[in-house]
Amino acid sequence: MKRMFRLRFGKMRNLVKLVSMVILVLCVGTGFVYGKELPPVKIGAAGPFTGDLSKIGLDALNAIQMAVEEANAEGGIKGRKIEVAIGDDMGDPSKGVLAAERFAMDKNVLGVVGPMNSATVSAALPAYDRAGLVIISQSATNPDLSERGYRVMHRICPRDDAQGPAAARFIAEEIKAKNVYIIDDKGTYGQGLADQVAAALNQIRVKVTRGQITLEDRDFSPILTRVKATQPDLIYLGLSNPAQAAGLMKQAIGLGLSARFMGGDCMKEKDQLVAGAGGAAEGMYITAIGRDIAEVPAAREFIRKFEGKYGAMSVFSGQSYEATKILIEALRVAAGDNPAGLTKAKALDAVHSIRDYKGIMGFPIGFDEKGDVLGASIYVYQVENGDFREVKEYPAEV
Amino acid sequence: MEQILAQLPQQVINGLTLGSIYALLALGYSMVYGILRMLNFAHGDVFMVGSLIGWGVLQLFVRGGTALAKSGPVLVSMVFGAVVVTSVLGGTIERFAYRPLQKGSRLTTLISALGASIILQNVAMLLTQGRAKAYQTELVISSDWAISALGATISATRLIIICVSIALMLAMDYAVTHTMLGKAMRATSQDREAAEYMGIRTQRVISAAFIVGSGLAGIAGVMIGLYYTQVDFMIGFSAGMKAFTAAVLGGIGNVRGAMAGGLVLGLAESLGVLFLAPVYKDVIVFSVLIAVLILRPQGILGKPVDEKV
Repeated sequence: MKRMFRLRFGKMRNLVKLVSMVILVLCVGTGFVYGKELPPVKIGAAGPFTGDLSKIGLDALNAIQMAVEEANAEGGIKGRKIEVAIGDDMGDPSKGVLAAERFAMDKNVLGVVGPMNSATVSAALPAYDRAGLVIISQSATNPDLSERGYRVMHRICPRDDAQGPAAARFIAEEIKAKNVYIIDDKGTYGQGLADQVAAALNQIRVKVTRGQITLEDRDFSPILTRVKATQPDLIYLGLSNPAQAAGLMKQAIGLGLSARFMGGDCMKEKDQLVAGAGGAAEGMYITAIGRDIAEVPAAREFIRKFEGKYGAMSVFSGQSYEATKILIEALRVAAGDNPAGLTKAKALDAVHSIRDYKGIMGFPIGFDEKGDVLGASIYVYQVENGDFREVKEYPAEV
Repeated sequence: MEQILAQLPQQVINGLTLGSIYALLALGYSMVYGILRMLNFAHGDVFMVGSLIGWGVLQLFVRGGTALAKSGPVLVSMVFGAVVVTSVLGGTIERFAYRPLQKGSRLTTLISALGASIILQNVAMLLTQGRAKAYQTELVISSDWAISALGATISATRLIIICVSIALMLAMDYAVTHTMLGKAMRATSQDREAAEYMGIRTQRVISAAFIVGSGLAGIAGVMIGLYYTQVDFMIGFSAGMKAFTAAVLGGIGNVRGAMAGGLVLGLAESLGVLFLAPVYKDVIVFSVLIAVLILRPQGILGKPVDEKV
């Protein structure tokens, strides 16, 4: 027994020797050949790529990957290849922090697109700030995020305190609703937006009743029965999951509820909301934080390529593509003539000083001191014949 | 107060609908626990698969916003498709995930069950690309078919769910008390070894329990799809939790208890919402569970178990 063990061990030692020699040769060899090639620049993609919100996450990730492939075809960043590092947070704040810390440990990650959910950004911001790693969120609209003094924070979507009052104005002036019921999902985004709408409606003295559901809910009969008892003429949905809104609207019909519906930017999604509601979404109003890029001439090429590759595009695809392009543009500026000298700090400065970036969103993008987007508008859309039709535009003023 | 009274009839109907679905699911948990003393955590996911299969079958009958066949045949084929797939799935899970581990400790089968649950969820996520699938309930069961009584709207969907569940529960109750398989099941759950000596092929009884329970879960899955109007790969978890709670509430291992537990739970959930905000409905459910476990640890209809020395 003992001898056998020794024998095996002896063989093993030879094997180890052989393998390490091979590795050594390979290392030296490749060192000669590839010694001058710089490591790729990595762009972090943070978002809910699995779990409840994986639909919007994957819409975003596909767009990010497409932007990076295009940039690589144009030579990357001054010759350095770009890679996407994926940080799946499942829409869960605690996982968002882990993703941030993993990005921070990788010295080649120089900027992050995302996270997408306000709650995740909120939780992960301190970690990104400690690492000095710049983030551009494509969809986190909670106002508080850019008020906390973190320099790494940037976003290309207007805040809820622009969207909420615009929605309230539309409710009072155009729909002329007198009695509004607001349902939110307790999330940082959903409840945050609902708070803004409620505050603005209270100011102009429209009667507001509020109720909450949770992100896990699929059965809306209990709350809808409550809603029915207050007989509202408009139901506002502060929800982050369009599929949930679709289910809610269909179940409302089953209960004989006939109020109109309105929702925030997250609702603007054809597959899950309009198709998912099977006609129940018809006539619904939606405030959007960007113009439908189908109407922006500069976006046509993107839409054609994206839909050819991944199928129907959602609002998150366009915003993610734009955020990625801005980040790449900033990295190119930061690299100057010395792509080897790129650092997180340089990337942060370059993103911060982006001005008048003309992409596919239809307005020139820049960031203010807090990292909030400049020059955006809030658009009101209505679902008509299964499509979104623009009915009103308000400047995004806080 | 007036508002509460106005909502009462509707919430009772909501509770009965949901409760009868919980009850059907709880049956599966209870039967398996009764026989094997194990918690089949994959049961909720089998239910989820059933609801997705029902959706798939429905899509075969829907073209461009209209149904190609009458409601009856469509509903029957949805249920049939779901039941066939879930029964086979339940039997397969039992054969490959649990049977090889039966001789091990109870903990190993529990872990294997969790594994099966995770696999089912992730396969479903990949196949559906994480999207919610909308049931075109309105094409099969028109939303005009509804009875209004006392301010409550009882849609045909709810009525069908409640009637079908009650019929199934009565049939199950009859099967367990009066048929040979039912007797064999009860014998196996009382003492597997003794049952084996009496010539009962207990392994078959166990398979049957899984297959029947999973079939019921399949039916429940189609019904939840028609009721919620959309399903996704995550619905198995929370529904499974609730149904498990219902099984414990009624007295786990007891078939009638599972049915009673499901109905009590559904009613508690929707009646509780009359007084508390709807976000707290799960709090209400689990408070009821805790209260019952303190006052009647064996559950509503369970028999107290003598402590074995």
